[in-house]
Amino acid sequence: MASNIKYPDEDAVWYIEGDKLALLTNVDSEGDTRTNTKGGRKLWKAIAESVTDGLLLHYHGEPNSVKNLIDEPDIDNSLHLFIVDYVKCKLFMDRSATVPAEEASRHMTLSNLHERKWKDALVKFGGRKRDKTGGSRVLIPFNLR
Amino acid sequence: MSVHSMTVKQIVSRVRQVFPEASENYVMNLINDALVEAGMYNAKTVHGKLSTVADQMWYDLSDGAEDSSGNKLEINKVLRVYLQDNDGDYIMIPRLLDRNIILADQTSESATTEPDSW
Repeated sequence: MASNIKYPDEDAVWYIEGDKLALLTNVDSEGDTRTNTKGGRKLWKAIAESVTDGLLLHYHGEPNSVKNLIDEPDIDNSLHLFIVDYVKCKLFMDRSATVPAEEASRHMTLSNLHERKWKDALVKFGGRKRDKTGGSRVLIPFNLR
Repeated sequence: MSVHSMTVKQIVSRVRQVFPEASENYVMNLINDALVEAGMYNAKTVHGKLSTVADQMWYDLSDGAEDSSGNKLEINKVLRVYLQDNDGDYIMIPRLLDRNIILADQTSESATTEPDSW
């Protein structure tokens, strides 16, 4: 069934609470603005119509897990190399718990080094490096009027 | 072909240069941990469709949530939401930043989550 909402940008809003997305509209199932309201009460309600594929979400998703040796990690290939750093960070940390104290600090130092490389790739520089926007940047001055 | 990507096997072989005794299974688990952490940032951007249901206000975004085709959504952060209009086009709808400004009526809600029973 097709939607009856003519101007979704004016007649619908969304917000998130925990693991749920709330969808509210101010129109009835015919697409007409609800009129029997008093001071805005009962104007915004749950959507009044069932529409197959009516909602399109654009989101950051969870990468698929790897299960076999031939699988490739489900993230941009620019991050694959840094997964090696993540794994080494955890293995150095594990090893530091099984060796004498004087050796443990050396392993922890190496663990921190690899952790920093992973974090830098993912958080600090990750977005900028993987951003696929090209061309020159444009600055829009603030409108003082 | 210039795109170079790595398989799990190649990652394991690099790790084994330093940790020859590391088991494949454990390294694979650590790779999956890394993927979970990467998912918290903009590592994978996805579009998914949901069907709206009359009188349903809340839509599930949990780990088990599925799109209208039955695929797992696996949402970490919702960036934008579009609603279909009467022409079948998807129009972006605004996110309500302060939900106290509208007097939403929840009496029409049919999908509230009740507390677990003892």
